[in-house]
Amino acid sequence: MKNKGLGEFEELILLAVCILKDTAYGVSVKNEVEKHSGRSVMLGAVHITLYRLQDKGYLSSELGGSSSKRGDRRKRLFKITAAGMAQLKASQEVRQKMWSQLPQFQ
Amino acid sequence: MESTTPVPINMSSASNKTIRWSNFWIKKWLGEQFFEEFLGDLEEIHQVRAVEKGILHANMMYLLDSIHLIIGFTSFNFKTNNNNTMVFSNMLKIAWRHALRQKQFTFLNIAGLTLGITSFILIAVYIHHESNYDVHYANKERIFRINQPDIWGDWDAISSTTGPNVATAIKEDIPDFEEVTRILTMGSRIIKTTGSEQNFDAFKENEFYAVEENFLEVFNFDLLQGDPATMFQKPLSLVLTATAAKKYFGYNDAIGQTLDVKYYDGSFRTFTVTGILADLPSQTHFNISLLTPLSSYQESMDMHGWKWIWTAFSTYGLVKEGTNIADLEEKLQKLPPKWAPPTTEKIFNQSFEEFTKGHNWTLYLQPLKDIYLSEAPSGHNFGPTANPVFVNILGLIATLILLLSSINFMNLTTAKSSKRAKEVGVRKVLGSKRSTIIYQFIFESILYTFCSTLLSLVLVQVLIAPFNVLTEKQLVLFSFLSNPLIVLALIGFVIVLGVVGGSYPALYLSSFQPIKIIKGKIASQFRGKVIRNTLVIFQFTISIALIVCSMVVDQQLKYTAQLDVGFAKDNILQIHNIEQFGFDTEQVKTKLSENISFTHIGKSFGLPPNIWSGDRYKSEGPEQTVVQLKNVRTEPDYLDLLGLEFIVGNNFNPDNKADHYKVIINESASKILGFGNSKSFNKDSPIGKRIQIASGTEDLFEVIGVVKDFNLNNLKQAIDPLIILHQNNDKVWDYGGGLSFYSMRLDPKVIQNKGDLATLLDNIKADLKSIDPAIPFEYSFMDEAFDAAFQEEQRTGKLLRIFTIIAIMIACLGLYGLSTFTAEQRLKEMSIRKVLGAKISQLTYLFGAEFAKLVGAAIVLAAPLAYFGAVYWLSDFAYKTPLGAGTFVIAGVAALGIAMVTIAVQAIKTARNNPVQSLKDE
Repeated sequence: MKNKGLGEFEELILLAVCILKDTAYGVSVKNEVEKHSGRSVMLGAVHITLYRLQDKGYLSSELGGSSSKRGDRRKRLFKITAAGMAQLKASQEVRQKMWSQLPQFQ
Repeated sequence: MESTTPVPINMSSASNKTIRWSNFWIKKWLGEQFFEEFLGDLEEIHQVRAVEKGILHANMMYLLDSIHLIIGFTSFNFKTNNNNTMVFSNMLKIAWRHALRQKQFTFLNIAGLTLGITSFILIAVYIHHESNYDVHYANKERIFRINQPDIWGDWDAISSTTGPNVATAIKEDIPDFEEVTRILTMGSRIIKTTGSEQNFDAFKENEFYAVEENFLEVFNFDLLQGDPATMFQKPLSLVLTATAAKKYFGYNDAIGQTLDVKYYDGSFRTFTVTGILADLPSQTHFNISLLTPLSSYQESMDMHGWKWIWTAFSTYGLVKEGTNIADLEEKLQKLPPKWAPPTTEKIFNQSFEEFTKGHNWTLYLQPLKDIYLSEAPSGHNFGPTANPVFVNILGLIATLILLLSSINFMNLTTAKSSKRAKEVGVRKVLGSKRSTIIYQFIFESILYTFCSTLLSLVLVQVLIAPFNVLTEKQLVLFSFLSNPLIVLALIGFVIVLGVVGGSYPALYLSSFQPIKIIKGKIASQFRGKVIRNTLVIFQFTISIALIVCSMVVDQQLKYTAQLDVGFAKDNILQIHNIEQFGFDTEQVKTKLSENISFTHIGKSFGLPPNIWSGDRYKSEGPEQTVVQLKNVRTEPDYLDLLGLEFIVGNNFNPDNKADHYKVIINESASKILGFGNSKSFNKDSPIGKRIQIASGTEDLFEVIGVVKDFNLNNLKQAIDPLIILHQNNDKVWDYGGGLSFYSMRLDPKVIQNKGDLATLLDNIKADLKSIDPAIPFEYSFMDEAFDAAFQEEQRTGKLLRIFTIIAIMIACLGLYGLSTFTAEQRLKEMSIRKVLGAKISQLTYLFGAEFAKLVGAAIVLAAPLAYFGAVYWLSDFAYKTPLGAGTFVIAGVAALGIAMVTIAVQAIKTARNNPVQSLKDE
């Protein structure tokens, strides 16, 4: 089986999509990630990662509604898939496990 | 809040240039499926940014984000992409797999192309070097040299030198020149550092010139030391190049030092160094080491400065900006009729019209940058010149070779791609667009040309050292590539050849219906054959023509080497600088004669094949036409030494002083003077007839002998009419440039090897040094001088041979590739023939015949081409090797042979193939 581990940025994006529920698209995901991580993120990086996660099967997408703010263009709304959720949880578990192994930290 | 802020809304965004521009490129590069969301997102974020950080920042970020998106989505191949969007990495992968699958084709293709491009670049570097002489002067566009007809001989030929008065006349009459400057050739001078007396090696300086004060204003050479305004002001000043300063003093900082220069009367005069020039750039027609102001020779200038026949000056003019050169040249033509008559009248006692004999005394303006590489005038008083014919021939060869290898490339690419018909079919079935397939083929093709070009550049860098040896240049690849235009041309070449090479398979293969391809109908109807055959014929035509031409060059060189020059030119040792011993050199001769290593010794004031001086003569009597004769001054012994054959009469009698004013002529001179030729001599002997110099003097010289024509010049030239003067004839003022020589015919019985020769040379040197140690010892051999005239042809021959071989190699690589291809295609046909009873020999014949026909056609086409090429090249020579059919037959047979050997492997393999193997699938 191929290594399907998540990169840090990928994880952030996945989490942002989860948080945004049905309103996750390029700009909103970018804003969400920036809000939580406090760092500025390129729009292109968000898009590339969204598509890569979709390729891996962690996200699905469909074209959603438009608004005049966007020059009447529609947005592509991303949703997390079951596989994506599982992967997210899996990486969370890995961390949890490893954290618990730290003996006298803190 | 938001509604009250003056925010750029949709309308203004759409009219925003940055946004429109970015959108254009996104649409161009990314798939349709992305536009909607990307452009939407960009728009949305742009508005927010415009509010928060201003429109400029928003625009910049819009641009940046767009670029990021384009790069990101073209370099990664997302599954969600449409299949038709081929991305670079994918195209590369497919190209790489094909290259590996057909290793042989890949190798042949790249090898052939690399060979061609390497040859082309090498020659291009050479030509670029040769055509960029004298480009470093600040006023290069405005500097012209003033040339005039060769008034001493052929008025139709152009000479690079004029009399001193031309510059005076221009300054006086024509205001369009900012500066006019003259350079006087001083000939070779003996120079030594002041104070050194005995036991030193004096230098013989050939690069010594007298210039005018404004020299540096016209030619802005870099100055290391000295004041440019004053260093040419005082007579007997001297300006040296850094190298010359090192040579004489051992160091550069030589201002104030002095050098002694020997004059013709044997005395030395002291010159003081006032300036040091940086060494001249290598690409200049000047080859100067020492410069002195013309005022150092003020007496001569005062006495002869008005003359138009003292043609030892190179005259250069700096024209004012914006001058119309054609008009200026027209104005110049008024000068000779106005200024030259005093010269013709006082010196020759002739009117201007009589002197010019109806020719125009034209003054030509030659742009500075054309001087090095021009056909006329063929030489000048300074450094090197190049023959444009040689450069043109090389250029033609380079172009032909590049063409050959490009054709090869196209040919192989076409042949190879027919195998990919099925791939194209499958791609189409899977939904590939036609454009995608075209892109793939062209991309691969460009990849090949790109790799070959890179490889070639590496090869050129490696090969440039041996190439420099061959061409006697110091060429550097990087200085060639430093010209951005050349880099652009290279890139252009890569793309154009790639597109052209790949376009045929790209357009042709992609046009088929997939069902036909998959059914296998295309392979049999693939029509590249006619084109491929035409290209093969073309390649072999060029190769055969090149073979013939290089054979002709060889033949011509051999032919001239064995020509009889009219006397035995071997074993003649010539001692130079005899003029430095003064006019009467009997003691030198006596001293030299003590050596027993030679059979004859004789003095002359000129040496074949370099007898260039001449004068205007006519036969005695009124109304005789004036003719141009070459003249050479010798002592009687020299004619014995050469062993010239007398048709009538005989040599000067050494004991008869009356013979001093008698002359010997050659047969050509006899004809041109109206004394008849060898057949008429027994009826009407030329002996006793008299000749007169056509310059107003009344002296008559009686002919005492006529010799058979012999070659006084190199064998490129026909034999000119010649008059031989006695060395003591002081009524003729031409002393052949003032140089004299002792020649010795070595006795091969005594001088048997190099050691003997070295001993003899040492002895002669010691003899001469014992008379005057300040005179440099120099010698030469006559046969070498005859050969030297053909150095350039030798070089042409060598280069032609090398590039002919390369051309043949390229053609063979191509042919081999094609034969492999044909072998695969005809495998089944051959197998069936074999099953039906054909023998191996018949099959091999059948296979070979197809290619033999092509080469045969090439032979027919090449013959006239090669013939015209050879005739053109030979037209420069007075003595031409006969062009026999043999050469053509040999070249044709050789080409055919090479072609047959090339395809033999495939032919025999196909013929010997076991039919079962190839037919079992059917």
